Amino acid sequence: MKKWLAMILSVILMVGVISGCSSNESTSSNANKGNKEVEGKLVIWTFFGQVKDMAKEFEKKYPKAKVEVKVFPGDQYKTKLLTALQSGQNVPDIFDLERGYIGQFVNSNFAANLSDMGGEKLVKDYVPYVQELGRDQKGDLKAISDHSSPGGFWYIKSNAKKWLGTDDPEKIGEMVNSWDKIIDLGKKVSKESNGKTHLISSYGDVYNIEAYHMDPWVKDGKLNIDPRWKKAYKTQKEIFNNNVDAKLDFFSAGWGNAINDGSVVLTAMPAWAGFMVDNKGNKSNGKYGIAKTPTGLYMGGTYRAIYEKSPNKDLANQFIKFIASKEWQEHNLKTTGNMPALETVYKDNLDSYTSPLFGNQNILKPYYDLVKDIPAQKADKYGEEILSLWRKVAGQGIKDNANVDKVISKFKKEVKNAFPELQVD
Amino acid sequence: MRNAINKSRYGYYFVAPFFITFLIFGLAPIIYSLYLSFTNWDGFTDPVNIGFANYERLIHDSFFFKSIFNTFIIWILSVIPQVSLALALAIILNERFIRGKHFFRAVFYFPHIVTPVTLGVLFFLIFDWQTGSVNKVLMELGIIHAPVNWFNSPWLSRIIVAMVTMWQYFGLNMLIFIAGLQAIPNELYEAAEIDGASRWKIITKITLPLLKPVLMFTFITSIIGGLQLFDGPLMIGNGPDNSTTTMVMYLYQTAFKNFNYGYGAAVAYAIFFIILIFSLISIKFSKLNKVEQ
Repeated sequence: MKKWLAMILSVILMVGVISGCSSNESTSSNANKGNKEVEGKLVIWTFFGQVKDMAKEFEKKYPKAKVEVKVFPGDQYKTKLLTALQSGQNVPDIFDLERGYIGQFVNSNFAANLSDMGGEKLVKDYVPYVQELGRDQKGDLKAISDHSSPGGFWYIKSNAKKWLGTDDPEKIGEMVNSWDKIIDLGKKVSKESNGKTHLISSYGDVYNIEAYHMDPWVKDGKLNIDPRWKKAYKTQKEIFNNNVDAKLDFFSAGWGNAINDGSVVLTAMPAWAGFMVDNKGNKSNGKYGIAKTPTGLYMGGTYRAIYEKSPNKDLANQFIKFIASKEWQEHNLKTTGNMPALETVYKDNLDSYTSPLFGNQNILKPYYDLVKDIPAQKADKYGEEILSLWRKVAGQGIKDNANVDKVISKFKKEVKNAFPELQVD
Repeated sequence: MRNAINKSRYGYYFVAPFFITFLIFGLAPIIYSLYLSFTNWDGFTDPVNIGFANYERLIHDSFFFKSIFNTFIIWILSVIPQVSLALALAIILNERFIRGKHFFRAVFYFPHIVTPVTLGVLFFLIFDWQTGSVNKVLMELGIIHAPVNWFNSPWLSRIIVAMVTMWQYFGLNMLIFIAGLQAIPNELYEAAEIDGASRWKIITKITLPLLKPVLMFTFITSIIGGLQLFDGPLMIGNGPDNSTTTMVMYLYQTAFKNFNYGYGAAVAYAIFFIILIFSLISIKFSKLNKVEQ
């Protein structure tokens, strides 16, 4: 008897262990069996919670379709997605890609060619930089976004009046339309406030604003350092050494406080970062304004690609069509404040759209001007990683007051180490 | 009576679950990454076999050597204060006449319950250049006049990373030491007291020698843990001139940030060998220790 009991127990244990690892497979099956109607089941993977609302709107429009959204917040999403794609098991029909790593994914065979599925028509009226980022090196469309992510100088109106003498976005935009002007104005603010208030948050704003106007880091397998980086470095040093900036790193805790307490007059940040403003009980409504940055600034962006081997490609394409539509982007703008990707949506709402934080300012106006100013560039495997190496090395150099040539030679060493396949001279 | 030990095969059924899971989730990835270390693979295309090229690159990789150096420095900076503090607290809290020692034992153990990521973020915020509380306090007290940029100095950054580790583990080591102290028979202390030995003499002549095996144990476990240092420093960043990049951080960056899985696997194997060597040395030491006893 005892032997039997032992056998049964050990079998139960083993089954328990094995089944623990094998469940949760084959979720999306037998959905689309050649239906021309919009019905079936779609699985989307994302790192962005709001995709759930998107799916709900889609289901509202096409009641026969069901969309399952799986949200994996945080850094691990990319690794998880790549593992699923490599193994070919349990892969979603649509997967989201962040601007930071879109380059590798759109240039892989995992993403379906949307140009062949009528994608070109969808992005015809898109903001140029937004549609270009979704293209692979050959120029085929592999991913599509439903928004643009422009940024601008956010300011507290009363604060701007105090330090800059005006809270008019146009006038402020003119006061800071070049880095030289920013440096002069910044010196003045710092002096008048006894070093307590600063014009901008960090010398790092220069990277954020200028980075995507530079030539790509890699050309024909060679590291390419745009000469304008040298000038940018000089500007940054001047900003840093003259207390034009508050020396608060982008998205650090102190940086977030400064937006609310006004110790920084102009915070360069993207349109989607409104959650950084403390607006408990609507106390910040109408408190802020947006002025233009010296050149067009955008930050981040979420793109959607269809899995090449998805059995539900038609339905997935329908979903992409939906998010690229005016209907969705207008709805998205009005409910979440996410800026549209379609220029037509911008134009139609230029004079009418307002957002509670900014009172009656037509914030689409500065954003639209900035977004058009951003050059259309493709994303590659290296761009973002090399940019982050530059930020690291140049940031160090600025703090140590180092010579630009020394910074460049250190930077080259880092690039050579991280990507030995690149030619670095 | 053929054999005193019952070698019934049912025992194997009971241990089977562990071995099966180990084979699938432990051994298989280990062997697979050995294979990967001979390939060039970015995760998007198929791996290409390149022989020993990754290992050749590794032995010329000054960044990797720097990361080994950093790891050791950070380990030394953390283990010395960690063990001394733990030992001092253990001896104090083991005194018969201390009040509320259970409370203090629990409090000192708390940091070990917190995840290293949280501790990393916490220290990062405390030592922030512009808004950190350490600078604020020092300025209030008039000790410094301008905020110190802690993370701009290679040595200060390393010390802060070491402090995170120290703070996390001293409570655990303290508990281990207390357990060791309680295993020392009371008669020895009584005899020493009757003979008129001072407190200091008792500590150096009785407590410490008898605590040696426990000391060895904490030392060895801290080597292996210290060499794998990752999550705490990751939150704090690479430091100036990569001064706080540890070996495992470097592995993570190569494989998962630069998408170079092949080279990442080679780095992993190099780390494996370094840890292996140190484990062998420490095993040797602990054996010597046993012989002495």
